[in-house]
This record gives sequence, structure tokens and C-alpha cells, in this order.
Amino acid sequence: MELPELAARWMHALTPTAYIPLSHAEIEQALLDSLRELPESPESVAYRLVSLHATGPDSLRATIEVLSPTFELPVLARMASAYAQAMRMDAFDQQEEIKVAIVRAKQRVERTLMVSQARFQEVFDSAALGIAITDFTGRCVQANDALAEIVGLESGADVNDRDLREFYHPEDVAALGASYRKVQEGHIDRFRDQRKLVRVDGEPVWVYLAVSVLRDADGRPTHHVTMVEDISELHLLQRNLDHQLLHDSLTGLSNRQHFISQVERQLDGRPITLYHLGLDAFSVVNIGLGQETGDKLLKIVATRLSRFAAEKNAVLARVGGDEFAIMVNADTVTSTVEEIQEVLGEPTFVDDHGIALSASIGVVDRPPAFVTASELMRCANSALRQAKARGKRQWALHDPHDDARRRGKYALAASMPGAWEHGEIEIVYAPVHDLETSEVLGAVARLHWDDLSHNDTMALADSTGLSLPIGRWLLREACAQAARWVEEFGDRAPTLHIALGALQSRDEDLVADVKRALDETGLPPERLRLALDISSVLAGDDNAVVLHDSGIVTALDGFHGGHDELAVLTEVPVRSVITRAPAPDPDSPLHQAMRALIATVHSFGVRFGVDEVHTLTDAEHWRQAGADGVIGLLPALTAEEVTELLATAASPPPAAS
Amino acid sequence: MSERVSWVPEGVDVGRPSAARLYDYLLGGGHNFAADRALAEKFLQAQPNARTIARLNRAFLRRAVLLMIDEGIRQFLDLGSGIPTVGNVHEIARKADPEAHVVYVDFEEVAVAHSQLILEGDPRATIIQEDMTRPDAVLRSARHSGLIDFSQPVGVLTAGVFHFVPPQADPNSIVAAYRDAVPTGSYLAVSQFTQDLQPEEMAGIVEVMKKSQNPMYPRTKSEIEALFSGFELLEPGIVPTPLWRPEGTNTDDPDRAGIYAAVGRKL
Ligand SMILES: C[S@@+](CC[C@H](N)C(=O)[O-])C[C@H]1O[C@@H](n2cnc3c(N)ncnc32)[C@H](O)[C@@H]1O
Repeated sequence: MELPELAARWMHALTPTAYIPLSHAEIEQALLDSLRELPESPESVAYRLVSLHATGPDSLRATIEVLSPTFELPVLARMASAYAQAMRMDAFDQQEEIKVAIVRAKQRVERTLMVSQARFQEVFDSAALGIAITDFTGRCVQANDALAEIVGLESGADVNDRDLREFYHPEDVAALGASYRKVQEGHIDRFRDQRKLVRVDGEPVWVYLAVSVLRDADGRPTHHVTMVEDISELHLLQRNLDHQLLHDSLTGLSNRQHFISQVERQLDGRPITLYHLGLDAFSVVNIGLGQETGDKLLKIVATRLSRFAAEKNAVLARVGGDEFAIMVNADTVTSTVEEIQEVLGEPTFVDDHGIALSASIGVVDRPPAFVTASELMRCANSALRQAKARGKRQWALHDPHDDARRRGKYALAASMPGAWEHGEIEIVYAPVHDLETSEVLGAVARLHWDDLSHNDTMALADSTGLSLPIGRWLLREACAQAARWVEEFGDRAPTLHIALGALQSRDEDLVADVKRALDETGLPPERLRLALDISSVLAGDDNAVVLHDSGIVTALDGFHGGHDELAVLTEVPVRSVITRAPAPDPDSPLHQAMRALIATVHSFGVRFGVDEVHTLTDAEHWRQAGADGVIGLLPALTAEEVTELLATAASPPPAAS
Repeated sequence: MSERVSWVPEGVDVGRPSAARLYDYLLGGGHNFAADRALAEKFLQAQPNARTIARLNRAFLRRAVLLMIDEGIRQFLDLGSGIPTVGNVHEIARKADPEAHVVYVDFEEVAVAHSQLILEGDPRATIIQEDMTRPDAVLRSARHSGLIDFSQPVGVLTAGVFHFVPPQADPNSIVAAYRDAVPTGSYLAVSQFTQDLQPEEMAGIVEVMKKSQNPMYPRTKSEIEALFSGFELLEPGIVPTPLWRPEGTNTDDPDRAGIYAAVGRKL
């Protein structure tokens, strides 16, 4: 066979066995050269084949098949062994190459890692937030100094290898564990929570936690990242507000509201006895020796009663100017009354004045479980009046049957539906005052039943399941009334404010109810201000947002200044927040804190309103702290009274200062 | 941080097989490791013709480059270029015109490092480590390299890479982004595995690759056609690799070629 023909055949046998990146003509030429060279130098042909990349698993076999009829076996054998050798060398070279490539790749990866780690490290080290990276057993792999500081350790390294859960409050371990798992399992991307951590010195510290996961290159979660923000200062402020809300600033004892909630908690528990104390002739001290002395005396009484309450395991509160209340596990009334008088009767000197102290005491013993706390307070109060009527140092036991007869009903709660049906529950209107202009901004519609306040009525309604229907009724009726005022008095008609109870605030029909009330009564939406209970918004309910989107101005009632509440203000478009707290005395350190809080609220574009402000002094204190509006300066009026007022006067607003 | 924290992922893991090295092995190369060869064996069980398929794909790439050279293209963007092996694009192109420019793109560490070794000191070719499914990033780096003049026609090569792009990455829009970055008269080459030819073997390959770091997604002829929106397909259209403008008469069995190939010209 002619060599060119053999070269062509070789090419056709060889190309399917390996990829040779040349044209057929080029390959053929190279093979023809090889054929000429073969008898003299089979080794160089072998090398040429390998460098052509004719190196497929079948390349050599195909070559031998094509060439064996033409060439001697020894030549082909030399070529075959040289080919194998060249292949091995080639493979070594390639392995060498790939190893160098690997090393380089690793170095590059490490370099970029180092850069990104350096960047990461900087963020990590300089962050004001505490950051901890933990594995899924909770063990800390890395933590920064900020975190160490929050939990009371020296440096981030001290946190390493510790279990982050060591710092959780024992009560939180289960709940937090569940949340961490949810993040790990991908049910949620991250969670945020406000919790108490326990420092190494045992001190609690309030923090805001944000937890997410780190994933490896394949997207599998490998670690938790916990960011920790120390909010204890904020928290202190909130606690102070809470404390203010629940405590009497003069004596530090629980206030009436707090006491009622404590009574409520006890009501379905063991039987209790309630003592309502009124100091005898306190007004004489106050007027004769001055208010300062009176205050000192009240503090002394508070201290003595505190000691007594501590011994008795009783709950104590200052429920009025010179009135205190004590709740004990049911006991022998006569001996307890005696003990109280003894405690008060100890010789008392205030500013060199010897004062004889005694009290009149109203007692409610073992009330039935279904009576509400405010009803109890009312009973105790009426017993106290009875006792006072008998003279000093007297006590009187409340007779439930007597009271039931007086009302014609046994339990107040049971009577509520009937009372409502019979129109005994009324709607009254309390003015809202602007603190800057002293103008009346509008009227708050409130419930009034017998001598119960709006809040008591609502609480009672809640306990009887009536709060939703009553709430809807209030909404509709008040809108109708407001619409009538608008019709009659035009711009002089007061804007209607309604504070919704907690249940109604998160009722899923609320938005529809409000729209229906507006449609049916014809009250223009801009004439209505709805205050939703802040708990609904905190719970993630979107009524506030939907109402806002429907053009209704909303407020959040029950604002305490908590971190979570402030956070909500950045997310939910409300016009104002409403709080209930004692007025911040300009001389008290809390004044500054309150100012700061109100300024923060303002910075969100939200106004600050205060409910239950009853005196001009308090209103002035609130004004100085930056509050915008108050409710409670004037007593609530019935609809008729409001109409009359509007009709008789281009009513001059009552001065607020 | 003096020591590397344990949660930082290792960048290079030679214990894990890569598509780039698997392909190198199938082509008869030595740039691979035991793990790659083990995967290749499974691949060969699913598709005994895999070596030929690899060879035919590589040969198509060469013919496509040469066609583009004939049409006057002097700059190439090779997406998913793989481990440098016999017949790299810059070698083929330069045999025709030593001035040809090539920008390689791959996202696999070792393929990139290896390419850098080969291209060290080469003023007309470079490698970019980037994910080709992120055209913006790729194009930015390509411009930055200074090797491609986007006002002149470009040869965009995507040989054996789109079958690593999952449908949810929206291959059509990826191609569209490259298309929009190059001028009329530019070319696009695509070769990609299909289930149209040997459905059973293809399903076997998909299964084998499922658990690797390069799962595979075969496409039908019409899905591949959709990639060429805005391009005019050159003869003979979308065909098995050996039938795409073969040199001389084709002797390979097109029904066992596994991969469709096509070249289009931007309208
Ligand atoms: C089979 S090789 C093809 C090599 C060469 N283009 C050829 O056809 O001969 C596929 C290459 O694409 C690379 N690759 C796969 N997906 C990629 C992506 N999203 N971005 C960049 N490269 C990718 C792989 O790393 C591999 O090196």
C-alpha cells in the first residue's frame, strides 16, 4: 500500500479514538510524516502521536491494526513501548500541572477569604451590637467583645465554647430554643425578640435579640448568628413608666389600678378578705399642719402598713388620698382589724407634732368568685362609708345580700346584658384638649353605667362576652350622634374619638363595622378618630393599617413606651399614641426621660396624648414634657348636654393653664 | 483572626468531582483526580458513548470557532471554558489569526487556576472566574479585561455549558443579555445535551449527576431553538454535533451523539 493511502486510512482509524484538534488534512500530513519516520525511529513517532493527543484508550490498538500488515513486529513493539512511556510522562506532566493549579486556586481562595474575613472581622469587632456565632448545640464558636460586655465578661474570647443558653433566663430557654430551631429548620428566616439575659454576675439585662443562620457553600445551615442589642436603658425607662402606671409616687405603694389587677388575679383562687382603710381626720392634719406634714404622715402610714402586709403576706395599695386597701387570704376579720389599728396606733411624731392615728375600715369577706374586682372595690368602699358614718376607729362588714337588694340584682356581671337592653348603659362624651392651644379637639365617646367608669364597664363587658356587641353599638351610636352634631353645628361639631377595647381592636370584622357605621350614619370619615388597643398591633394585627388605608385616622391606646411599641410606630401609620400615667413632675428625674420619650414619638411623626388627666397642674406638667393632648380635664357629658353646650355658646374653651 | 474559623467553607475540595475535570477525563486528559474518574465511570455506565460524545462536542467547538474566524470574527467570549485541554479556543483561533483575542469564563476554581497557568503572560487571552448565568458581572469583567471591543462583532461560545444551567435560572434571558451586549453580526455557538436522541441514557446521566456539584438539565430541540431568539440560525440548524458542518463525510453515529449543536448570527 502506498504511504499516503495508508496515512489516510490511519487517520480514519485514529480520529474516532481521540479528539485531535486539527483538520483532517493536517492530521493526515502529520501521520504521513510519521510513517516515513517509523522504520528508523519508532520512538519519535510514538512521541508525535502523544503530542498530537492521539491518546484515547483505543488509539494504540487502532494504530497497530492499521500498521501491522505493513510494518515489522519489532518496530511496532518499540513504538508501542515508547508510546506507553510517553503517555506516562504526559500524564505526569498533566498531574503536575493540575496540582500547581490546585495550589494556586487554594491560595487564591484563601487570599479572598482573608480579605473578606478581615472585613468581616472589622465589622464584628467594631459593632456596637453583640454578635455570637453558635453551632447547633448552642456552643459559641465566636463572639465579639460587645457581646461579652453585655453578659458581663471581659472579651469575646471568654464567651467562646460556652453555651449561649447559659445566659438565657431559665424561663426563656424553652421558648427561645423553639425559635432557634424554627430558624435552623428554615421555617422562618430570622426571629427577633425582646428578652432578659442573665449576666455572669446574675444581674438581668434586657436585650433585643435577632437570630438568623449561616449557611455553608451548599446552602446548608451550619450555625446560628445571634445579634444582641442591650436595651436595658430603654427598658429601665419603660419599667419606670410601668412602675409609675402601677404605683403611687408619694408612698411607692401599688396604686388603685394595680391593686385591682392583683385582686382580679386572686379572685378565682383562694378566698380573700379585703380591707379598705380611710385615715380618720386626715384632712385636719393636712389643713392644720400643712400638706407637707400630711405627706410625711402618709409615708409613715405606708411604711407601717407595708411591714404589716409583709408579715401577713398581704397585698397593699394606696387607693385614694388618705385611703389604703389590703387584701389578705381570708382570715378572722375582727383580729385583723385590731392588728391594723394597733399598727396605726403606735405613737407618731411628724415634725415634732405628736399625732394620734386611727382608721375607719370597710371589709369585704370571702366574696363570691364571680364578682369583679371593681365591684369588690365598690363594695369595700360602701362598707367604709358605713364605718365612717359610725365615727372614728370603726369598721363595717359589707353585706352582699344587702347590696344585691339595693341593686335589685345579685351579681353585677349577670345584670349587664339586661342593663344594656334596657338602655341603662349610656354613652357620654369627654372633651379632648389640645395642650398648646387649650382648644377642645374633639370628644371621646365613653360608656357610663351606674357609677362605673368606662374602663370598668368595658372590663365587665369583656368578662361577660359583651364587649364586642357593646363596642359595635358604641361605635354606631356615637357615629350617629356625631353625624347629627355635624349636621346641626357644621365645623363647630366636635371630632369624634372612640377608644376600642382590646377584643374589638383585633376583631376581624372591625374594618367592615367601621365602614358600615360611617356609611349608615353619614359621618364623614375625617370626623372620626379611632384609638386601637396597642396590644392588637403588637400582636401583628393589621386593622390599624387597613383603617389608615381606608382614610381613617387612628391612634394606639395603652402606650407604655416599650421598645416593641416604638418599633411598631415606625411600621404602622398612626396619628397618635395615648398613654395613662401620672403627670411627670418637672422636678423629678423622670421628667427628662418622659420628654425624651415624647420627642422620640414625635420624631416618628406621631402625636402624644394622655388620658385621665384631671387637674390643670397635671396638664401643665404634661405640656412641659411635650405632650400634645389630654383627656379628662372636664367631666364627661351626655349627648344632650353636649348639644346644649354647642347650642348656647360659641363656647369659649376652658383655659388649660 | 489568626486561625480560620470552622464555619468558613473550604474553597477547593479535590475530593469532590467537578464537571470540568470529568470532561477532561472523558477527553483522555490527565487533569483529573480519583473522585472525577469515579464519577466518570458512572457516567460511562449510563452513557457508554460518553467519550465519543465529549470528543464530538470538542470537535464541534473547533469547527464553530473556525467558521467564525472565516466570517471575520477576531474576538471570542468562551463561557464555561473548562480545563484547558487539547484544542483550546485561543490555540485554534490563533492558528488562523495570531491577533485573535479570547476571554475565557468559568466558575470552577481549579479550571480557572489551570487556565491562568496556561495563559500566564499572554497579552491576548485571559480567564475570568465568574458564573456565566450572571451576564452583568461577566460582561463587566470582560470589558474590564480590555480584550474585547464590544463595538465589534464577538463570537460568543457556550459549548457544553447550558446543560448545567437550570431552567429556573432562565437560560433565554441569560442568552438575551449577552446578545444585547454585542453588535449585529456577532455569533453565538451552543452545544447542549438533549433527551431527544437517547432518552434512556440521558435520564441515566441526569441521575448520575444529580448529586454532584454540577447537576444536568437536558433540553429539547425547541428549547434550544428558543435560546437563539434574535439570531439567525446558520445551516444546518440544530443538529447532533457530528452533523454540524462535518469535515468531509461524517462517520460518527449522530443518534448516539447526545448533544445538539448550533450556531447563529445576531440579526
Ligand atoms: C463540559 S465543560 C465544557 C468545556 C468547553 N466549553 C467545551 O465545550 O469543550 C463545562 C464547563 O462549564 C463550567 N460551568 C458550568 N456551569 C457554569 C456556570 N454557571 N458559569 C461558568 N462556568 C460554568 C464547568 O465548570 C465546566 O468547566
